[in-house]
Amino acid sequence: MIQMRGLYIFIAVAAALVTVFAYVASSTRRAHDIDFHRAYAVRKALFFALLAVLATGLWFTLGNTPYPRDNEIPTNVVFVVGKQFSFGVSAAPILDDEQYQAATFAEPVDVPAGALVEFRVTSFDVNHGFSLYSPAGQLVAQTQAMPGYVNRLRVRLGDPGTYTVLCLEMCGMAHHRMRGILYVK
Amino acid sequence: MDVTIDTIGWTNVEARSWRRMTLVWGLTVLVLLPVLVALGAYMRMFQSNVLPSVAPEWFYAVLTLHSLGMVGAWFVGTMAGISYLLSKYTRPSLAVARFAYLGTIAGVVLLIACTLVGRFGAGWYFLFPLPLYAQGVWSPWATWTFFAALATLGVCWTIWTLDLLRAIAQRYSLGTALCLHYLAGRTAPEVPPMILISTVSLIANIAGLVAAVIVIALFGVQALGVDIDPLLMKNLTFFFGHLLVNVTMYLGVAMVYELLPLYAGRPWKTNRVVAMAWNALLFLIFFAYFHHLYMDFAQPTWVQTFGQISSYLLSIPAAVVSIFGTLALVYASKMRWRLASILLFLGIMGWGVGGIAAVIDSTVEFNVRFHNTLWVPAHFHTYYLMGVVLIVLGFIDHFSQDVSKAGEISSRTKWTVGLLVVGGYGFLAMFYWGGAHSVPRRYAVYPDEVAQGALYARLALAFIAVLFLGIVIYLWETGRRCLKGFAS
Repeated sequence: MIQMRGLYIFIAVAAALVTVFAYVASSTRRAHDIDFHRAYAVRKALFFALLAVLATGLWFTLGNTPYPRDNEIPTNVVFVVGKQFSFGVSAAPILDDEQYQAATFAEPVDVPAGALVEFRVTSFDVNHGFSLYSPAGQLVAQTQAMPGYVNRLRVRLGDPGTYTVLCLEMCGMAHHRMRGILYVK
Repeated sequence: MDVTIDTIGWTNVEARSWRRMTLVWGLTVLVLLPVLVALGAYMRMFQSNVLPSVAPEWFYAVLTLHSLGMVGAWFVGTMAGISYLLSKYTRPSLAVARFAYLGTIAGVVLLIACTLVGRFGAGWYFLFPLPLYAQGVWSPWATWTFFAALATLGVCWTIWTLDLLRAIAQRYSLGTALCLHYLAGRTAPEVPPMILISTVSLIANIAGLVAAVIVIALFGVQALGVDIDPLLMKNLTFFFGHLLVNVTMYLGVAMVYELLPLYAGRPWKTNRVVAMAWNALLFLIFFAYFHHLYMDFAQPTWVQTFGQISSYLLSIPAAVVSIFGTLALVYASKMRWRLASILLFLGIMGWGVGGIAAVIDSTVEFNVRFHNTLWVPAHFHTYYLMGVVLIVLGFIDHFSQDVSKAGEISSRTKWTVGLLVVGGYGFLAMFYWGGAHSVPRRYAVYPDEVAQGALYARLALAFIAVLFLGIVIYLWETGRRCLKGFAS
């Protein structure tokens, strides 16, 4: 799970930093003059090491963004509208309040497991956060639902089951109750 | 009383007034700290399901007050500290400092009114157009009182910032204060690092406050019936919000550059690398906010890419110059470990730890799984609570000992530090763990899919209790010294 990978990277690097701080703090028990030219050399090495780490990070991650690519053609399109305090999810475009109301009460949309699905997400009032939670309760993808814009989120939902849509942008008093449902078969 | 004049031109009466003004700011921050922590604890209680009979709208109103209160309190805490330290080199206006204080109090009163009376609950960055979609929870008066509060704070803080820049420019000129001559290879005139960092931060702050004024004005235009672009508003809002938080942190770092050498017994001087780092930062800081909009796919992709690159680059001057500089200053020095110096040192460490989490979050690949989960409050609480808060508390303690001439009791220092560190990092761990397990942020109640969030909130409450105990001991010790300082 990518979230746990992020957590482990954080714990490892933070632990290294805390260790260095603890070592430096303990060094004051044996006070002595230091050679600042040597410190500057260490700083230079740190600069290039950090630059290399960050460049490597950019190299490996910048290609893995969730933004639509021109050479991909989604097999399914799902239309999503957020409005205080529910998501309308439909296989057909949602163009007005009436269609939004119908979508919120309609049977959940089905999408095939493993297919490239494009979610066209917008809002009819304030900003909402359209997020997909897997049957195991893990956040697998998200995009903002913004009034006046359509955000296109493309994702492959591998595990069959019921996916929950939760709102991840604070949108008012019932923000935590705003939800939708999607079936992956 | 005989009137004497110091090298900067302050009379002893003016110098006493500065000390008193700083004491008033310090005590105000010390009063706000436990109140705002209590509001935070209230939210975690809400999320723990121990307040089932309270309507969720109160959660969002308290969230708004807690977050704006914390952002504001530590901003004014660092500004007050910097004002005092700058008065050792320059002549800021005491009248402006008093005006800023009164304006801040007025703004805080309005904020309390609109949230705790008016139930305004759009969050601290009041994302457009939520304040105008109250769903019957808050009234229009609460919305406009909120904007009046922001306008009051914005005007006062802009004037305060401009006055500090004026004071710096009168002594050094802005080009010299930015150490441009160091970049050209000259080291005269010598400019203390605090002057450089303060100048960079204050210039950035002006840009952020101008953006805030534009946001407030555009809300007014929308209310008049003219449609405003939500993506433009989002960009402006996060430009302002991210800058204000960054500037607060950097002003705290400026205080560390000034104070830590007093305890380490070594000088910390500006050189070419320090000048390059902070001038680079003055450029990069304007683009780091892009990572708040990664999930807005309508934003051009090149902007998102540039956002990740600039967020990554921003970590280099912080790590290589300021964090490394702190370590080099302290390494094998005859360090006097006092409450103030320990808090300043730990504050820089907390800044670094929070920065690591921030860099991870600023990676688009991770952001798609972490955005608006508890990972976000995890990282910004790290460099706030364990970063700038510790630095400001370190400054206030240093100042309280300076003006009261009262020493500290080492056993109480150990207890204070121990409780703050265990309570603080334990509290943060629950945020990180929650973020890694997909628990959303800003939920009054967790739905079944993320019900584990309630357990993490309960564990966080235990750590908040430990943290609170540390704060109480700190307040008892340092607060008493501050009160004694009024007699000096």
